[in-house]
Amino acid sequence: MSYLVFEQVTKVYGAVEVVAPFDLDVPEGELVAFLGPSGCGKTTLMRMVGGLEPPSSGQILLRGERLKKPDRRRGMVFQSYSAFPWLTVAQNVAYGMRYRRDLSAAEKEEQVQHFLALVGLTDFASEWPNRISGGMRQRVAIARTLAAGSEILLMDEPFGALDAQRREFLQLELRRIQQEEGKTVIFVTHDVEEAAFLADRVIVFTRRPARILAEVDVTARLGASRTLELREGTDFFGLRNELLHYVRSTASEEEGTA
Amino acid sequence: MPSRKAIIGTASTLSVLLAWEWASRSGLVSERFLPAPSTVLATLWSMIFGRDLLYHAGISTLRVWGAFTLAALMAVPIGIAMGSFRWVGAALEPIVDFIRYLPVPALVPLSIIWFGVGEGTKIFLLWLGTFFQLVLLVADDVRRVPVEFHETAMTVGAPWWRRLTDVSFPSMLPTLVDNMRITLGWCWTYLIIAEIVAANSGLGFVIWQARRFFQTPEVMAGVVTIGIIGLATDQLVRALHRRWFGYLVR
Ligand SMILES: Nc1ncnc2c1ncn2[C@@H]1O[C@H](COP(=O)(O)OP(=O)(O)OP(=O)(O)O)[C@@H](O)[C@H]1O
Ligand SMILES: [Mg+2]
Repeated sequence: MSYLVFEQVTKVYGAVEVVAPFDLDVPEGELVAFLGPSGCGKTTLMRMVGGLEPPSSGQILLRGERLKKPDRRRGMVFQSYSAFPWLTVAQNVAYGMRYRRDLSAAEKEEQVQHFLALVGLTDFASEWPNRISGGMRQRVAIARTLAAGSEILLMDEPFGALDAQRREFLQLELRRIQQEEGKTVIFVTHDVEEAAFLADRVIVFTRRPARILAEVDVTARLGASRTLELREGTDFFGLRNELLHYVRSTASEEEGTA
Repeated sequence: MPSRKAIIGTASTLSVLLAWEWASRSGLVSERFLPAPSTVLATLWSMIFGRDLLYHAGISTLRVWGAFTLAALMAVPIGIAMGSFRWVGAALEPIVDFIRYLPVPALVPLSIIWFGVGEGTKIFLLWLGTFFQLVLLVADDVRRVPVEFHETAMTVGAPWWRRLTDVSFPSMLPTLVDNMRITLGWCWTYLIIAEIVAANSGLGFVIWQARRFFQTPEVMAGVVTIGIIGLATDQLVRALHRRWFGYLVR
């Protein structure tokens, strides 16, 4: 049975059509990157999957069930920093598991330590979110969402505020977690290279209203395992350049209509 | 080293006091109308022993805190409900808004008819003056909790009632404490009205008694006592705020 399916999904805000009838099939365990110009409707699509916004028409199905209210099956890393200021870094990460009954207190504590280490925040465990940098706050949100153990991760430009080194590390880690735990990920990014390196499949969007401009099957061309060597190879460059062309075409479209 | 702000503050307060002292001592204004600060201070000291000033201050403080606690305990849950559920807000807002605009002194006669001249009237009037203000402030603060916080909670599986306790409440708590500090100040205004009209104890009563015998220094000493209690409470709550909500400091 198909896993996550968008069926003729649209979103209209007042008179503004943000998402045109949109169809997409995401198989279980796939990492899909959404690449598109600013304001084209990527966040809107993610919010509809998360159940935070209803589609104006059409539907989104998970294993044939129509998705409505938000729940723990779909975890979200928001584009804006969403760490709770009244909880410490560690408590924020633990918050991801607050409503889970399948874990004991000791297991939760262990998970907190694990995810803190993963995002490199062990030394900041007892710090307040307001006292750390924006990039670190974003890592708190990532760790919290991973700790929640959702089967679908919706990540809205999660690595945008991070430095290049931390970014590359987390790209590899996300890819590893996704492969090991079979998670399905929708990943929004503006960065062509990030999309090519991370995703099994890249969806390039047109300008608003969001339509699919191109679909690139990365795994068919580069394989499922991603390493830093791969990133320096010619195959990767070819793919990156191809995506870049698509992205440029949406930009020139913009100049044409402006 | 004291800050520049503290130095300016102290200096200006001292100059006002000195000018006042000089005005009364030099006979520019009659001591009968404006006793010198030193006289007021001496009177205050003697009232502690001669007029049970501390007892009356204690009674007044208890009344303020009692009524205020009652108002806050009711306003917080009701305000959270009003701010969280549109229909609760729509149902209660008209009534609350109406009562909020009623001047408390205008309700003194009604309150005496209902509750007599005992503690009931005082508690009722103070509650009236604070509950309806506080409940609207709480409702507004709840509405201002960032949506991302609620959405984060929803996507980690928080049921709606846990969002009230785990997100809305902690998120608005710092503003709530600030609002409480301000409303607590208003309580004293209503208390003095209530104690002047219907009481045989409390600072309002002491001031009113002193007025009858034209004891201006005692009247002023009573007023100063209220000022001191108010200032001390305010500073205490501010200190607690800094301590509890240190996480807000960037
Ligand atoms: N609640 C709303 N009401 C009205 N318009 C909205 C609303 N939310 C989004 N929009 C509009 O919908 C369009 C798409 O927004 P969206 O946030 O989905 O874009 P995006 O692709 O995520 O952009 P970015 O890359 O800048 O994050 C924008 O033009 C935005 O102004
Ligand atoms: Mg966006």
